[in-house]
Amino acid sequence: MNSPANEWKQWLAENGPRLLLFARGWSNCRQDAEDLVQEAVLRMWNYQAERGGSPPDLPLVFSTIRFCGLNHHRSETRRRKREESVIYLNDFQDVWLDPLLEEDEEALILRDAVQNLSQKLREVVVMKFWGGLTFLQISETLAISPNTAASRYRYALEQLSHELRRIKEERHASA
Amino acid sequence: MQAPDPIETVLARLMPPALSQNCQDGLDSMIDDLAGPDTAPPRVSAIRRTARWVLGGGIAAGIGALVAVFPFSNNQAVPQRAAVSVVDPPSGLVLLSASDRVESMIDEGWREDASGAALRAVRLNVVEENQVRDEESGMKVRISEPREEVLLVPIREF
Repeated sequence: MNSPANEWKQWLAENGPRLLLFARGWSNCRQDAEDLVQEAVLRMWNYQAERGGSPPDLPLVFSTIRFCGLNHHRSETRRRKREESVIYLNDFQDVWLDPLLEEDEEALILRDAVQNLSQKLREVVVMKFWGGLTFLQISETLAISPNTAASRYRYALEQLSHELRRIKEERHASA
Repeated sequence: MQAPDPIETVLARLMPPALSQNCQDGLDSMIDDLAGPDTAPPRVSAIRRTARWVLGGGIAAGIGALVAVFPFSNNQAVPQRAAVSVVDPPSGLVLLSASDRVESMIDEGWREDASGAALRAVRLNVVEENQVRDEESGMKVRISEPREEVLLVPIREF
């Protein structure tokens, strides 16, 4: 039989990248995001210990990452550190998403556009698209109505579409 | 079913990167720490359980035999089981039985230890015998290991 530790490790291997991507929205560098994931996993372990010890549902982990991220945002020192690390890490192209094909121009444009979405829109897109959550699950995670979640998603897609078109037109004009 | 938005088809060409090796290792070790040591009891085969009972009986019989034979007679063969020290056989081998057989006891008289206390020396010829079965081939092997021991018994009464 699979031990709890192995179950959690398998669960992390499957969901780690999703959690990391979501955590990126609450931190300004990859390292901070990984710290957030680690903190959330620790909280989840303790929470699940009283509920059979199995790995948690994904919406709950997203909520926990969000909660941990909010806590971090409240700390002034922490914010300063993040601002410093942004300057440092931007030199190494600290990106949130990897394109499947290296030279995929559209994907690369969208990658930046997703990062530049407002927090409210971005977290819905991340949870819906890469997290695989339903609008109902997203609404529970963010304490909003399912309709609001759906409209934020649609609005985010419109913005991304607009941004993609704009940048492509700019590039064609300058070519 | 609703057709995906064209922008979604482009988004599908982007994947979140994996956790860094550092983070993955940190999480794994944190989970191991949180889970604590594996408390599942090791699987004990019925044969091994029987062997342990036989072994326990052997130990008891051996101790009984040692107590019974004092005072000792010279060069007397004592085909009894004595206390057994068991080393787990290598994996793949099942321990069927284990025994320490006292072949002979020789009373070597009195001795003195460093502090001048009187001791009675008894030389024992012991044969340790283990029977193991190779789980893969089913072959049974008997391993005999003779050894000599000198038992020093403090003398408190004359």
